[in-house]
Amino acid sequence: MFLTVTSSLLEGFLTTVRLFVLTLVFALPLGLIISFGSMSRFSVLRLPIRFLIWIVRGTPLLLQLLIIYYGPGIMLGNNVWGSGDNGRFVAALVAFVVNYACYFSEIYRGGIQSIPVGQQEAGQVLGLSGRQIFFKITLLQVIKRIVPPMSNEIITLVKDTSLARVIAVYEIIWSGQAFIKSAGIVWPLFYTGVFYLLFSGLLTMLFGRIEKKLDYFR
Amino acid sequence: MSLLEVQNLQKNFEETRVLSDITFSMERGETLSIIGSSGSGKTTLLRCLNFLETPDAGRIVVNGDVMFDGNEKNTYREREIRKKRLHFGLVFQAFHLFPQYTALENVTLTPILIAKERKELNAAKKEAIIAEGTALLDTMGLSDRRDNYPHQLSGGQCQRVAIARALAMKPDILCFDEPTSALDPELTGEVLRVIRELAQKDTTMIIVTHEMAFARDVADNCIFMDGGVIVEKGKAADVIDHPQEERTKKFVSRIGVV
Repeated sequence: MFLTVTSSLLEGFLTTVRLFVLTLVFALPLGLIISFGSMSRFSVLRLPIRFLIWIVRGTPLLLQLLIIYYGPGIMLGNNVWGSGDNGRFVAALVAFVVNYACYFSEIYRGGIQSIPVGQQEAGQVLGLSGRQIFFKITLLQVIKRIVPPMSNEIITLVKDTSLARVIAVYEIIWSGQAFIKSAGIVWPLFYTGVFYLLFSGLLTMLFGRIEKKLDYFR
Repeated sequence: MSLLEVQNLQKNFEETRVLSDITFSMERGETLSIIGSSGSGKTTLLRCLNFLETPDAGRIVVNGDVMFDGNEKNTYREREIRKKRLHFGLVFQAFHLFPQYTALENVTLTPILIAKERKELNAAKKEAIIAEGTALLDTMGLSDRRDNYPHQLSGGQCQRVAIARALAMKPDILCFDEPTSALDPELTGEVLRVIRELAQKDTTMIIVTHEMAFARDVADNCIFMDGGVIVEKGKAADVIDHPQEERTKKFVSRIGVV
């Protein structure tokens, strides 16, 4: 039985990890773009983006998942997500990417705005371009400052992936819960917790390493 | 022809006029000190020369090339401003070293990036830049500090690295914005000594400072500013020891020449 449960949970966990990794792959860069938008001098850009961030951060992720998945089908009469498991997964991924990109963008913004303006001015008077200043001077300082809040947010994402089950994405909790009905046993649910703990433990170690690596400057 | 000519420069922040009718010129190799109380516009003047602020009117001419003309300021693009900036160097009161780079890397970063941008960077060029940066740190008395990060250096050492970093770009005119004001008194000496050596090597410099004796002894000429205007200018010894204007007299006697 243990092996059956383990292999079933692993299958669910694979979906969890896929959702987690793909969300990061898209949301980390998208968040940076959104943060630039939210700091833009041009209010036609800044205000809509601030509005989007407000909506996304101000409503439950669960609600966003439901609306993104069911919304197009019901309102436009057209299920843009395609059918089957894959369609639901893509819908969940889009919801996660948008949601997390907005959270990340605020972390980036805080990080960027915390760098003293003197750093930029020092680069300017030396004759560097805005791009050189950002990539060669500001960026690493920003990364150093945002590692702690980012690790917080990313560990939250590990657990938030479980919300995808609300649109029937077969992630690990779904797999564990299935045994309540099929076999009348509850321990697989506890077992799923072990997966989460190991995964977030691994991430905590990884972020600890990054923090240590950036310890050489202040 | 003068190296630098500033004509009728004017700058407002919102409704407040911070610089008005600033006119002076400098010869190559000259050291000019600017004194005056805080809020007199000294720092804003340096920031205008380094294009960190855009003046509202007037002209800045270097070597006969017009750097800024208030009548056509809207035509200046970032590219052009970047090129013009290379005529000027600026040493900040608070150093603003790049914390993630060593002392030597702080000095060589910009020359390397700019060589790369011009597609001139190869192993030999890089080596030359590093050799030059090393030599600059040597003249600053920092030969044993080149691999230290800024947080491992004292304020005086940081400021000397910042001076080397500015010199690495070979500016025509090096500007100092109160270079010792953020330093503990026992550390100002080492920075002033370095600036004095630069003056002896005929580096063209504009030094905003509260160190009156230094402003008198190191500089050839001196400008006293108050309320955004130049109240008095002349030979440094004359302006500081025998001021003509009432406002200068008051300022000099209040600050005192140590």
